[in-house]
Amino acid sequence: MPVSKPDCALLILGHGSTENPDSSQPSWDNADTIEKTGQFGSVHCAFWKEEPSFRQIWPMIEENEVYIVPNFISEGYFTRQVLPRELEIEGHTTIRNGRTIHYCDPVGIHPAMTGLLIKRAKEIIDDSVKLEDTTLIIVGHGTNLNQKSTEAIKVQVEAIRASGEPFADVLDAYMEEAPFIADWQTLAQSPTVVVVPFFIADALHSFQDIPVLLGIETEPTAAASQREVFRQNPYRFGDRTLYYSSAIGTDPSLAEVIVDQVSYFDEHYRP
Amino acid sequence: MTLAEELESYLPAGATLRFGQLQLSRTPEGSFVACHADDRTMLPKLEEIDSISGLRDLAKCDGSGEFRPLKTAPTLKSGWKTQSSSAKDFLRRLDAIYPGVFATWVAYDRNEHGPTSLRRTLDRQTGMYRFAGTITDQMANRIMRELCSPGCLRKIAWPLNDQCIVSKIKREPMSIPVICTEACTFAISRARELAKEAYDRENAPGN
Repeated sequence: MPVSKPDCALLILGHGSTENPDSSQPSWDNADTIEKTGQFGSVHCAFWKEEPSFRQIWPMIEENEVYIVPNFISEGYFTRQVLPRELEIEGHTTIRNGRTIHYCDPVGIHPAMTGLLIKRAKEIIDDSVKLEDTTLIIVGHGTNLNQKSTEAIKVQVEAIRASGEPFADVLDAYMEEAPFIADWQTLAQSPTVVVVPFFIADALHSFQDIPVLLGIETEPTAAASQREVFRQNPYRFGDRTLYYSSAIGTDPSLAEVIVDQVSYFDEHYRP
Repeated sequence: MTLAEELESYLPAGATLRFGQLQLSRTPEGSFVACHADDRTMLPKLEEIDSISGLRDLAKCDGSGEFRPLKTAPTLKSGWKTQSSSAKDFLRRLDAIYPGVFATWVAYDRNEHGPTSLRRTLDRQTGMYRFAGTITDQMANRIMRELCSPGCLRKIAWPLNDQCIVSKIKREPMSIPVICTEACTFAISRARELAKEAYDRENAPGN
């Protein structure tokens, strides 16, 4: 739902990377898309690992009211601890030096993400493939250090199962904790498997690490932007067929989700 | 005064300024022009980049195609120019190359954005960086000497700790200072590495 906030700034927060040039691109793309709509006085990005950093951003913003939307997949360590600490904000709304700062929910927990995952899975498989013969695997990072790291994906898997879409199965899998994505051939029973990375960018994990774990690359490749060919679906493994999509955060609809998080904030958290 | 108005006042018609590796100039008619300082004598021959995203792409990699996560690394590509008749638009173009550097300087110069000491930055880290604050002052000086000084154009404005007194950076004629008001992710990562090396040495078998 579009908003009209010409006196407010929108600040999109991303993780960024010191190694991969593609990590910050979805945030910039979304910022450019939203800026063209003129819904906000200005649109900015800031990053944990790139520039402008979270610590550098405040002098750049001239509006007295700012909406912050984390372009992060899940609520957890970053959105609850690192981002508020680095931006010196607390709770939903912080008033500091005459500026009102609203901290919205991260994009990954927006209800629209379920539909985007389904859409992404359907659009990369061939028309001749039946969903009834296809297992959809949503893959995330996962870490044994944080029990919450898998929560966002499990919520999505349940929502897709409940959606009535006739996938043979819908599963969650992770890079660093069980069920491991490297075991996709035993996790999924159907002849066709489609894997959608629940990541923001086609960067280190989704473009370079997971393809190795899936077996479609033998070693991490160059970054996506430095390759001439993105992916060549499908991949054949004996009598199994595998489709691997780009990260869900690269979907152009994420720009709308970012703005929706601002609307959601106004409806639910605004003081 | 807005940031765009500040930029206009820094760069009146006919003026030329150095900003990091950039040369900024303003034509007698009022248009703003930026190019790599190495290219300042060949402006008419330079390829024009006319979009913010194009400039962001330019700043993304160095001449050999290596990713430049630190935009103030002294590795900006040459061979291009960008120009705009609007100060606001020109500032956005500068921000695509040096994100927030002009705004940081203006806020610092106005005493609205003070530097954060290295100790304060390191001590608030958590997660994998939580031990970064255990580095000695010697290690901190090593980071500045080996990492910051050769690898970044920014002039350090932050003190080592809150008790240190550092003199305020002043503007030099014909340039806009490129300053660092707080240690960046690279310095924090290096501090973590040095802290880990020291810990491993102290806890090595036989110690």
